[in-house]
Amino acid sequence: MSRTMFRVLTAASVATALAFAANAQQVGFSPLDRTDQKKSKQDLNLKGHPTPSTMTPVDKLPLDKLSLPAGFKAEVWSHGHPGARTMVMGSKGTIFMGTRVLGRVYAITDRGGKREAKVLLQGLTQPNGLAFRDGSLYVFAIHQVFRFDNIEDKLDNPGEPVDLTKAFNLPDTVHHNWKYVAFGPDGKLYVQVGANCNVCEINNATHGQIRRYNADGTGMEIIARGVRNTVGFDWHPQTGELWFTDHGRDWAGNDGPEDELNVIAKGNEGAFFGFPYCHANGVPDPDIRIPNACAGVTLPAATTGPHAAGLGIKFYTGSMFPKEYQNVAFIARRGSWNREQKFGYDVITARTDGAKATLAPFMTGLLDEKANAFHGRPTYLFQMADGSLLVSDEQNGAIYRISYSTPGATKK
Amino acid sequence: MELKQVLQSWWRPLVLGLAAAVLLEGATFAQTMPIAERAKLCGACHGEDGNSRMPNIPSIAGQPEFFLVHQLILFREGVRKVPGMNELLNGLKDDDLIALAKHFTVLAPKSSEEKLDLALVKRGEALVEPMRCASCHLPGLEGQEQMPRLAKQRIDYLIHSLKQFRDNRRSGADTLMSAVVIGVSDDDIAALAHYAASR
Ligand code: HEC
Ligand code: HEC
Repeated sequence: MSRTMFRVLTAASVATALAFAANAQQVGFSPLDRTDQKKSKQDLNLKGHPTPSTMTPVDKLPLDKLSLPAGFKAEVWSHGHPGARTMVMGSKGTIFMGTRVLGRVYAITDRGGKREAKVLLQGLTQPNGLAFRDGSLYVFAIHQVFRFDNIEDKLDNPGEPVDLTKAFNLPDTVHHNWKYVAFGPDGKLYVQVGANCNVCEINNATHGQIRRYNADGTGMEIIARGVRNTVGFDWHPQTGELWFTDHGRDWAGNDGPEDELNVIAKGNEGAFFGFPYCHANGVPDPDIRIPNACAGVTLPAATTGPHAAGLGIKFYTGSMFPKEYQNVAFIARRGSWNREQKFGYDVITARTDGAKATLAPFMTGLLDEKANAFHGRPTYLFQMADGSLLVSDEQNGAIYRISYSTPGATKK
Repeated sequence: MELKQVLQSWWRPLVLGLAAAVLLEGATFAQTMPIAERAKLCGACHGEDGNSRMPNIPSIAGQPEFFLVHQLILFREGVRKVPGMNELLNGLKDDDLIALAKHFTVLAPKSSEEKLDLALVKRGEALVEPMRCASCHLPGLEGQEQMPRLAKQRIDYLIHSLKQFRDNRRSGADTLMSAVVIGVSDDDIAALAHYAASR
């Protein structure tokens, strides 16, 4: 769709919203948003947790809280990079790390077994979307798209990027639009476009999607619709199918609708995943009601917990972990805010079987259920060449490395 | 009204530019400046006591410390851009910014001399309840953690910042605020601003 057409559509929807505001008694947060908080019967003072933009000293990192299955061990791999989220690796071994509000992209290099983190880019708007291909780093910051060629030769001075913003033509609405992006096995660049509200009627042509593009921003196709906010996806190593996490809506109760783990089965590209009418495992929306809300909706492979905020997902293909972890997905759950009793703040596994998945705990301990408090927030995962798994912790600006050796030999 | 807006938008950069020119002279040695002196430089725009007397420039007295630290980092990084202010923070360490935040958080907020429109205050009062402003900014709108104080803030700045959120122009912000005001009319924004400033 052309830029002008998008503008016209946006203008039209804003105009409708204004007319609505003038005529009707407003129920939701805003004229567009249809959230009826009172109906949720939740504590109406629930609010997002602050994310520090300052460094957490290394001795304050919650390493001793982390608990893993026997034989697994966690250590601090790097720290001192506030806002730690997405991780991708360059072909020369640099870990690039994206953030949200802090607007930084870090470059983390390994210098003789010690990690050095430097601020590579700053002043961007929520550069959560990173991808690497053929020497180039792709940076997605809401609707802005930049490509830094030969970046690993220019870590001290990345220079001017190629600006691909126009080519990708993404909406500039910010909410739920910090991007997750990744190259698929088909060489295409897959891009998230979230719903810019808690719950509202979205324009299916522009929001609530996963898209794929050629690397230069041409050839856009919408491969999933009705997706509220996916912030992580990965391809199954054997089937090649795309699995993605998706956050359930807020303010419809402490216990749901739960978050989702979805799969786009072969031949089901372009499928509708239900937002805003149908959530989780077939729960009709309480605020936007339509008849047969779940008809024609592709339901999730598994629900991943109420308000748990599943972000990064990575299918394990390394040789370090025991055999039973082969092709098992790890999912980082950042943890709830819209729930009276906190939930998540961990890493779980998802064993997939066709279009279904079974979940189990993996890395726990960051949630103190008794105190209803948390010590860290896992966001993304990265598998290293040696088969160890990196987990980023946004709250503490750190990366933990999880390794395995046969029990008896080492113990955590 | 329209003329006033044009004037404001026209002379805002001018004021900032003038203030910046005077201040930047000292900016290089500013990196080693004691905190009280540095805070004086801020006072040129934000008021010596942290209460701004300049159109569209926010009061920063009595803002939650977390909010101040976070926003100062965003300014230093160039995520939020204000000519004349970004430069003052160049090269400052997190600890310097924390010290500045501690300085301003304990100052007493005072209402500006702008005229409150009581009809708008009333309309705003009816809006904050369904829009749940208090759930994040607290019932007295005094703010907490990453959520700023709105009470006693300048009306023009509140309008300015609400429009920035609505129109996706406030960089670095927690996007929840954009979700709150998406699609809200200019009139309702004015009402919310007059109400918040009156608290
Ligand atoms: C040249 C004038 C100028 C100077 C000097 C200046 N500021 Fe600002 N400041 C501004 C303007 C204008 C804004 C509003 C920016 C916007 O509209 O987004 C602002 C915003 C802020 C904010 C965000 C407040 C909010 O409610 O969002 C903080 C905090 C702040 N300034 C602190 C400081 C400190 C501390 C100093 C001294 C180191 C300083 N400023 C110096 C002009 C200035
Ligand atoms: C879900 C929580 C939430 C709700 C509800 C909410 N706010 Fe906010 N508000 C925030 C956060 C967080 C920020 C800080 C944004 C940032 O990081 O820049 C903010 C910032 C603001 C600012 C900017 C002030 C400044 O000094 O820069 C204004 C004005 C504001 N809110 C007004 C309102 C009003 C009016 C309402 C009700 C209509 C409201 N907010 C409801 C969370 C909320």
